[in-house]
Amino acid sequence: MKGIESVRGYQEEIIEAIPSTIIVVNRSLEVLYANRNYYAKSVAKRERDVLGERLSRVIPSMLIEKTGIIDKIREVFLTGVPFDGDQIRYPGGMFYFYKIYPLKEDEEFISKVVIFMENITELTRLEEELRESYVKLENAFAELKENDEIKSEFISTASHELRTPITVINSYVEMFEGGMLGELSSIQREKVAIISSQIEHMIRLVEDMLDVSRLESKALKINKYLIRIDDIARKVLDDLSRLAGLKEQSVSLTIEGELIPVEGDDRRIKQVFNNLLTNAIKYTPKKGKIEVIITDEPEDICVSIIDNGIGVAKKDQQRIFEKFYTGSGSSLTRESGRMGLGLAIAKGIIEAHEGRIWVASEVGRGSTFIFTLPKKV
Amino acid sequence: MKLLIIDDAPEMLKAFRDILEAYGCEVYVAENGEEGLTRYAEVMPDVVLMDILMPKLDGISATKKILEMDPSAKIIVISAVGKSGLDNECLLAGAKKFIIKPFKIKELMSSINSLVSMNERN
Repeated sequence: MKGIESVRGYQEEIIEAIPSTIIVVNRSLEVLYANRNYYAKSVAKRERDVLGERLSRVIPSMLIEKTGIIDKIREVFLTGVPFDGDQIRYPGGMFYFYKIYPLKEDEEFISKVVIFMENITELTRLEEELRESYVKLENAFAELKENDEIKSEFISTASHELRTPITVINSYVEMFEGGMLGELSSIQREKVAIISSQIEHMIRLVEDMLDVSRLESKALKINKYLIRIDDIARKVLDDLSRLAGLKEQSVSLTIEGELIPVEGDDRRIKQVFNNLLTNAIKYTPKKGKIEVIITDEPEDICVSIIDNGIGVAKKDQQRIFEKFYTGSGSSLTRESGRMGLGLAIAKGIIEAHEGRIWVASEVGRGSTFIFTLPKKV
Repeated sequence: MKLLIIDDAPEMLKAFRDILEAYGCEVYVAENGEEGLTRYAEVMPDVVLMDILMPKLDGISATKKILEMDPSAKIIVISAVGKSGLDNECLLAGAKKFIIKPFKIKELMSSINSLVSMNERN
């Protein structure tokens, strides 16, 4: 049994129930039938006011003029080809959609056509709203992109422009330190040492800015040689031992498994260790504990840097790897000397090595920063 | 030892002069690439320290022109621009070394000395 058979006998109920306006006219364009929806929407409420009347008298004249519907109906009678729909705007902001189908008698002769009419005002309005929102979104995105480009350009320019003055200052400091500008008293020597260390700090900030703009323009160069991660870790820990010593922190290195050399950029991986360990020292209180564990995994070498410091709040854990992110206030406090670039650079470097980096942490208990480097040959 | 510094920042020129004279060098300066070419011809220095971004004639073009004039010229490019690939561009133009600012005086002096001793060996 075909599906259509199951509704045979209910045609009338179905047509009456259809929420569109349905009108059937004969060749003289006299109305033979209009469904319930027509009466619901129209001024004419009774069949006797409608049936037998010319179509042009029972639908608003505005609609007739606007749509040229009469001509379309004539065309359908003439050609037998259904008119497959048109959208019309009605004064007052209403939108209608209509279709005309020929009803054939014995295959040939078209004695009637059926007109479907639908008020699509709401649909059109929603569509327009959607389109407008889309345009707004696109504009906002373009603006955001432009701002981001301006910002990147600014970082890059600032990083370059600062280099010459820093070089000039640094040169004279070096000359003072080297006694090339006369012997310094001990107090002068002490102050010059402070200037020198602050300039070194400035140089690091400028380098970070440059690295970030390189990462953004995908211009960070990774030179690959075979490197030993454990050797790099030892070197950086050695460099930072004085800093950790000032806070009486215990720092340990554990190697698990047999480590093989992997491909990587010595200087850049050192920078990653340096950034992560400097953070660990900074955010771990006096007499705290910092552990570096390097593990040989089947696919990669995994480095964990574990501290028992202040930790990173859940909501900050994803974002701390974003550039210029210095925390939402609770777990990471704004400190001088930080631009929020260290972790962004570390992430950029590790990803350029096709490794991964992430953090696990609990506020007040400590943080574990983990990165991997693939062992592929 | 005669050195020619080509840089458009007067403070940088002054600092270079102070450092290098303290090391006993004879220092000549030029404030752009074009002036640098003229000075080079006059002075015929042992080593040139060349900036990149300068008015009139940039450092890379100036490097090429100096080398056309004197193929044995020893040029060290010292730049604030850390754009990747720039070092290669300079070396390709014929510069012997590429140093990025800021540098350590020791690093600069050892670069200069190694070029000069190379000169003497030849």
